[in-house]
Amino acid sequence: MNEFIEQFLLEARELVEQATGDLLALEETPEDRERLGGAFRAFHTLKGSAGIVDFDAMARALHAAEDMLARVRAGDVPVTPALIGDGLTCLDQVVQWLDQMQVDGEPPVNAEAAADAIVARFAASRADEAPPPSANTAWLDDLLAHGAAFAGQARTAVRYTPDADSFFRAEDPAAVIGALPGLVLLDLEPNGALEPLDAIDPFACRLIFSALSTTVAEDVERFLRPYRDQAVIISLVEPGAIPAAARAVLEAQLGLLAEPAEDGRPGRIAAAGRVAANVLRHLGRHTDAERIGASTDPAQAIRAILGDPASEVPASVPTSLTGQETRVLRVDVERIDALVKLVGEFTVLKNALGHAAGLARDGGDATVLAALLKDQHARLGRLTDTLQQSVLSIRVLPLRHVFQRFSRLVREMAATSGKSVRLVTEGEATEADKAIVESLFEPLLHMVRNAVDHGVEPAEAREAAGKPPTATLWLRGAREGDKVLIDVEDDGRGVDVDRVRRVAAEHGVATPEVIAAMSDAEAAELIFAPGFSTTSEVTSLSGRGVGMDAVRTSIRRLGGAVSLLNRPGRGVRVRATLPLTVIMTRLMIVEAGGEIYGVPMDAVVETAKVPREHIAPLGSMRAVVLRDRTIPVLDLAEALGEPRVAPLKTDAILVVVAADNQLGCLEVDRLGERIDVMLKPMDGLLAEMPGIAGTTLLGDGRVLIVLDLPELLR
Amino acid sequence: MSVRWREDKAIALSGDSGLDDAEPLLRMLSAHPGAPVDWRQCEGAHAAILQILMASGAAIVGPPQAAHLRNVVEPALTRYRERGFREDP
Repeated sequence: MNEFIEQFLLEARELVEQATGDLLALEETPEDRERLGGAFRAFHTLKGSAGIVDFDAMARALHAAEDMLARVRAGDVPVTPALIGDGLTCLDQVVQWLDQMQVDGEPPVNAEAAADAIVARFAASRADEAPPPSANTAWLDDLLAHGAAFAGQARTAVRYTPDADSFFRAEDPAAVIGALPGLVLLDLEPNGALEPLDAIDPFACRLIFSALSTTVAEDVERFLRPYRDQAVIISLVEPGAIPAAARAVLEAQLGLLAEPAEDGRPGRIAAAGRVAANVLRHLGRHTDAERIGASTDPAQAIRAILGDPASEVPASVPTSLTGQETRVLRVDVERIDALVKLVGEFTVLKNALGHAAGLARDGGDATVLAALLKDQHARLGRLTDTLQQSVLSIRVLPLRHVFQRFSRLVREMAATSGKSVRLVTEGEATEADKAIVESLFEPLLHMVRNAVDHGVEPAEAREAAGKPPTATLWLRGAREGDKVLIDVEDDGRGVDVDRVRRVAAEHGVATPEVIAAMSDAEAAELIFAPGFSTTSEVTSLSGRGVGMDAVRTSIRRLGGAVSLLNRPGRGVRVRATLPLTVIMTRLMIVEAGGEIYGVPMDAVVETAKVPREHIAPLGSMRAVVLRDRTIPVLDLAEALGEPRVAPLKTDAILVVVAADNQLGCLEVDRLGERIDVMLKPMDGLLAEMPGIAGTTLLGDGRVLIVLDLPELLR
Repeated sequence: MSVRWREDKAIALSGDSGLDDAEPLLRMLSAHPGAPVDWRQCEGAHAAILQILMASGAAIVGPPQAAHLRNVVEPALTRYRERGFREDP
């Protein structure tokens, strides 16, 4: 990716974050000038950087938002929830664009429609509250009278009153207005009474320019953006109307397309489509232009546009790219300094090793040499540990990164479901591994959605239950030892355990006996079971029906676990416990079927050697009684489809593991050492293999396959 | 310098008349009241020049060289003058 774009993406995301924060704070305290200024500056800077990377659509959308904020700043418009919502929607669109850019390294090509939607949103809210600019339009009448010859063509009128000191800023207002796109008529007048020649200050600008342009207001606005506060721009065209000249061109294209011709028809279709698209683009109707460009039947598309000027194609929903990795990371200088210091210590150790090597070559005393090497090995060990810590600390991101996206989503979910929900985020500064933070969005989205859809009651029901009508949804992050806890908690009705038992039995999640034997807490957790949720509804947010089992799967894929705390009538807390880092994993090496495998140490409860006859068949499985507990036994070699090698006469070696609150035994041929490894998630073909969590390289170069215990035991 | 006093007692603007030309133009117009301004060789006129031309009321000899001056700016100046005379009998 272009370095420029990389930098842009980095900064844009920070600005979006800042703008979001400011907008939300502004909603709470609308009179907070500082927050208003902050939001305005963030939008302004974002817009500027969009311009730098030639992302016009984004600049257009942000300009509309900035314009609105400028009007709020000027006191013309009050801060309303709708206005904040529009601003957040704009930022959300920006984030989607940034995600696409992250992938392609270039501004998305099909962004015009989405930008139009944002611009239209602000235009609509503007039309809602702004009285038509009727006062002080004498200049417009004059201008139109002078420009009667251009009546059919002029689309925009401009009144540009340059600042008196604009000459000092090396601006030439005459050049600005002279370069106005589509300029056909200019009127000059002095600003105020004209001074006699001998009293005139040649360096103070006392002019007012009025101009007519054949370009649409939107493009004129873009051109005059640097002078926005000095210019009044009035669109002379009814929105949506196609001027006669353009209509004629479009109709001519239709005529061309209708002509029967065998030769060169595809070329002609393409050419006519191109002309039509250009005409529409010229009119500022970017959506329609895109629509024609994308259409296989331009004639049809042109007809639709001519016949129904207001028709709009719904913008295609961009695919979610939440799983995409950010390739750039901002790192605290101190952390880099720590690394630099470490490099120095490694160099010292390298020299010491060179000394030891020389000693060995010259036939030095073996005891001395051994002592030296032992000492250096220990030092190397310490340094490696420190290096590991330092590197891990670089790969962290605050949870804010993912939490911030929920402020708008929760508003939207609440609005869609007709409930009133307040989102409270806590501990967003908690840091976790970048890979984890970046993969959290989807599971959190489902958790939050589940809370809003099923947990939160309608306002009347809440009031009847003696709760405040507005529900509270907490999104919390906290660090606990080497784990990161993420809670999604609501103060809704809680999980209806009886209903869960019933549904679970109906959907065959477990046998009725097993379900009946479960405690309420265990039964509530059935909502995470695969097959529990049968929702087939396509949600607006995730785009597909998913149950909470998807949450458990994705959290588990990150090396974490999900638990549920149900307080019937008072709410639910779903907690995801995640490792602080995905990098280092402590493994126990086991051998089965002639192959070696890694078993995550944190899952190993104990190892045991039992006489083979103690393993008894139990239903379709085998089980062993250990410490008064019956534990199912899984022959690892068999489970992984390897031939059994070890003789069956000897005692069975069992590794007792815990996964998902259940115990299981893996029968293996041999137990190996324990090692710390960098676990690589599987990708490509292997990613689909069941029972495997990842791979790592051993010291001797062999690949070690690490087992995914919950999947194996399922 | 693109402002000069011509032997035929006219002020001539030529080339790109920038902000630097505003003061010389103003001085020349004050020194020679009633002298016409010939801007046929003019390729660009800074707003400072335009407002002096508007304030001076000097006769303007055109059309100027540059298309946008000819098509847009000169008609605007002319209209301003006409309006001025109309409103100021």
